[in-house]
Amino acid sequence: MGLLGLAALLAAGGYGTARPAAAAAMPGAAQPANFPAMTYALAKNQPNRATFELGRALFYDPRLSSSGTVSCGSCHQQSRAFTDGRTLALGVAGRRSPRNAPTLQNLRWRTSFMADGGVHGLELQALAPLTSPAEMNTPLATALARLNADPAYRQRFAAIYGPGTIDTPQFLRALAQFTAALTSANSRYDRYVRHEAGGTLTAPERRGHALFVAKCGGCHAGELFSDNSFRNNGLDKSFPVDSGRAHITLLPADAGRFAVPSLRNVARTAPYMHDGRFATLPQVLAHYAHGVRPSRTLDPLLRPPGGRLGIALNETQQADLLAFLNTLTDNSFLTDKRLADPTLETKPATLRVEAAVTAVLFGR
Amino acid sequence: MLTATLSCAPFALAFFTIPMRTRSFTTLCGLLFVASTAVFVGCKKDSDPEITTPGEVDLQISNVVGTKALALDGTAYATPAGETFTVATLKYYVSNLKFTKSDGTVYAAPNTYFLVDQAQPASQRLAITGVPAGTYTGVSFVVGVDAATTQADPLGLTGALNPANSMYWVWATGHISMKMEGTVTSASPARPITCHIGGYTDPNNAIVTATPALNGNVLRVNGSHTSTIAVQADVLKLFDGANHITLSTFSNGMMPGPEAMKVAKNYAAGMFTVTKTQVN
Repeated sequence: MGLLGLAALLAAGGYGTARPAAAAAMPGAAQPANFPAMTYALAKNQPNRATFELGRALFYDPRLSSSGTVSCGSCHQQSRAFTDGRTLALGVAGRRSPRNAPTLQNLRWRTSFMADGGVHGLELQALAPLTSPAEMNTPLATALARLNADPAYRQRFAAIYGPGTIDTPQFLRALAQFTAALTSANSRYDRYVRHEAGGTLTAPERRGHALFVAKCGGCHAGELFSDNSFRNNGLDKSFPVDSGRAHITLLPADAGRFAVPSLRNVARTAPYMHDGRFATLPQVLAHYAHGVRPSRTLDPLLRPPGGRLGIALNETQQADLLAFLNTLTDNSFLTDKRLADPTLETKPATLRVEAAVTAVLFGR
Repeated sequence: MLTATLSCAPFALAFFTIPMRTRSFTTLCGLLFVASTAVFVGCKKDSDPEITTPGEVDLQISNVVGTKALALDGTAYATPAGETFTVATLKYYVSNLKFTKSDGTVYAAPNTYFLVDQAQPASQRLAITGVPAGTYTGVSFVVGVDAATTQADPLGLTGALNPANSMYWVWATGHISMKMEGTVTSASPARPITCHIGGYTDPNNAIVTATPALNGNVLRVNGSHTSTIAVQADVLKLFDGANHITLSTFSNGMMPGPEAMKVAKNYAAGMFTVTKTQVN
C-alpha cells in the first residue's frame, strides 16, 4: 500500500478494512481485519456521533462520584491505555480499591468483565466502579438524579432517546458507546500481521513474536492476546485476601484464578497483575521464568512435565519477548483526540496547562 | 336484551341437538344447568359462568412478623427462640406468577415482576392482568428474579427490575431476591443484621419458588371482576423452618453462598401463606 493509500485508510479510521465512511468515522466502529468477530456487535448499540459524545462526557464527568472529584477517566487515563499507573486504584476520599485498575481497550471482544468475571456485559460493567464505595461511591439512583437535574444532560439524552426522564438503560448504553469505542488495533504488530506500510519488526522482535506464540500464546491467545479465561498464574500459594474467580463462583477450584488480561499496549499499563505487584515488564517475565509458586489451582500450563514450575525463559529470550511486547503499543489509540477528555478541548489554554501540571504532579 | 337472547341461543340449540344416549348423566346435568341458567338468569353478566374474557388477579401481600403486622418504626419482635429484633428494610421480588387449574393446566403470567417494599404500601398489591378465565386451585411464584432475566440485556432493566432500586449486585451481575435489614436488639450489644439473598448459579442458586396452598379455596377469574388472593409474608420464616438461624450469630451475608441457600429454602417453604381468596 502506498503512502496515499495509507493516509486514506487512516483518515477513514479503518484497521485494514474498507468501511463506509460514516460508520468508520466513529472511533472503534470498524472491524479490524485481524480481529475475530465482535462479541458486543455494533447492532447492539449502533454507534452514532451524538451518543458517543454523550458517553464520552459521562466517562470524564467527575460529578458522577460522591466527592465530585473522581471520573471514570481518573483511573482510566488514555495515555496509559486507560489505566492509572497506580498499584491499586484510588477512589473518593483517598480510598484504595482492592485491585489494580484494568486497561480499557477492545471491550467489544470481551465475554466477561472484571478480574473475577463477575460482571456479564459491557453496559452493566460501569455500575461496578460507579457504585463501589472505594471507587466513585455513587448509588445508581443518585447518579440518575444528578443527571436528571442537569439541563444540559437532559437535553442531550432527550435528543437521542426522546423526551422524558433519563433512566438506567439510557445511561448505561450511552456510556457503553464510549467504552465500546476504545479499540486498539493499530500497533506496529497489527500493521505487521496485516502486511501494511510501517509493519516491520526487527529480528529480536520477530524472535520475540515466535517465542511469545510458543510460550505465552496458550493464555494470551489470538489477536486480542487473551483467551478470556480465568487462570491462576502462580503469584501466591494461598489466596486469603482476594480469591479471584472463586469470589464469584465460590468454587474452591477457582481460588486464585483471575481473568487473563490482554497484552495490547502492555508497555504502557504498568504496574502489573490484579494487585499491581510488579512495577515493570522484566519483573513479570522473571516471575514466569523462575517465580511461579505452587498451589492446588495453579494453571496446568505452568506445570510443564519435568517438575519445574513456570515457563523456561533464558535472559536472551526474555529480552526478545520484551522487544516484541513493545510492538503492541498503539500510539494512534493512546493519542486519539476523539477519546480524550472533552472538557480539555474547550478550556482556555491556561486551564489546559493547569490540568497537565496537575496530572504530572498528582497523576501517579 | 336482544344481545342476551342471541348469545344464549346456541346453548339451547346445543341442548336439543346433542344425542342424549351418547352423553353421560353428568354431562347432561351440566348442560341442563347451563341451559337453565341461560333461560332463568337471562345471561346476566355478573354471574354468567360463560364469561370467557381474561380477568385480573390481585395478590395483596401483608408482611407480618408472627402474628403481628410488620412496622419499620423500631418495633421489636421476638423469634420463637426468644431473640428480639427490629426491621428497617424488607424488600423482595415476586415474579413469574403461575396459576393452576384443578385439571392441572397451568397459566404462566408473562412479564410479571414485582418488587414488594414494606416502605411502599402500593408495592404490596401485585396486579396480574390478562389471566384467562377459569377456576384456579393453585398459585406459585418465584421469590426473586429468574436467572435468564437477571442476566438479560440492560434494556430490560426498567421498572421493578431497575438496578437503581438497590436490589442489584453490580460486582456479580444479578438481582438480590430478598433484602431484610434491621437490628438484633437481644444481642449484647445490639448488632445490625443484614440479610441480602441472591445468586443463580449452582450450587448456590437461591432462586426459589413459593407455592402457598389455597387450602381448598378456589380463585374464580374472568373479565367481569377482579379476584384477590390475600397473602401473608412472615419475616420470622426467613430464619426458621428447615434451617434455624440464630440472629445474633448470622454472618450478615451480602453474597451468594451456603448461608443464603438456607435462608432461601426457609422462605420458599414457609414465608408465604394464603389467608383468603375472594371475588370483588
